[in-house]
Amino acid sequence: MAPLLIEFGMGTSLRRQDYTEAALRGLKDALWHNSINLAELFGKDKTDMRLCCVIGVQQPDKVDVSKLADVFPYGQPTFHVEKGGLDIPRPDYEGGGRPTVIANVAIKVSLEGVS
Amino acid sequence: MSDAPERRFIIEMGMGNDLYGGDQTKAAARAIEDALRHSSIPLFEVRGLPHDAMRVAVTVAVPNPESVDTEALKSALPRGRVTVRAVEGGLLVRSPASPDGIIMASASVEAYLPAQY
Repeated sequence: MAPLLIEFGMGTSLRRQDYTEAALRGLKDALWHNSINLAELFGKDKTDMRLCCVIGVQQPDKVDVSKLADVFPYGQPTFHVEKGGLDIPRPDYEGGGRPTVIANVAIKVSLEGVS
Repeated sequence: MSDAPERRFIIEMGMGNDLYGGDQTKAAARAIEDALRHSSIPLFEVRGLPHDAMRVAVTVAVPNPESVDTEALKSALPRGRVTVRAVEGGLLVRSPASPDGIIMASASVEAYLPAQY
């Protein structure tokens, strides 16, 4: 199914290098910048929405996707985590500490029965 | 299809500000840009619809809406049939670094298409 809408978001983890938290915040940023009534436009039900979430972080294997599904009030999400985003190292004078993490998120929205 | 009733299918929302210049139009333009860059609408290409099938209603909210150049803001919307209105809202934030205050603007970009069923 071709995407009809794509939503973009950015999420961060400032100090704990928590890639899952950054991904979660990125999803929320994407979701809550827009209000979508796509299903209604095509005479479909909200449950017909298919959400393909693409997440970019520097350490993709550290993202626990089982923690991400709950953020969606409705719709069927799938998750693809790949290398992307940005890690910002701490300056030397801080004497150690984890990098600040940025996650890039794109949510591609399709509708079952609309191509 | 053009007889079909209009349906709003997306509200894009954004935030913009002018930190030091006290420029309400600049803050509003940044809010519109923020709204637009958080989504993409490939459904026109997927469904073979012309962009001007879409009606776009933009509202910007700032502390002093009468100072906003709404005509200038229209050029920020590249697609569809566009109207822009300015209303009172947003936020004026006092700061020692900003004699005119920091102007915070909200923007909503509502897009409508004829019902597609």
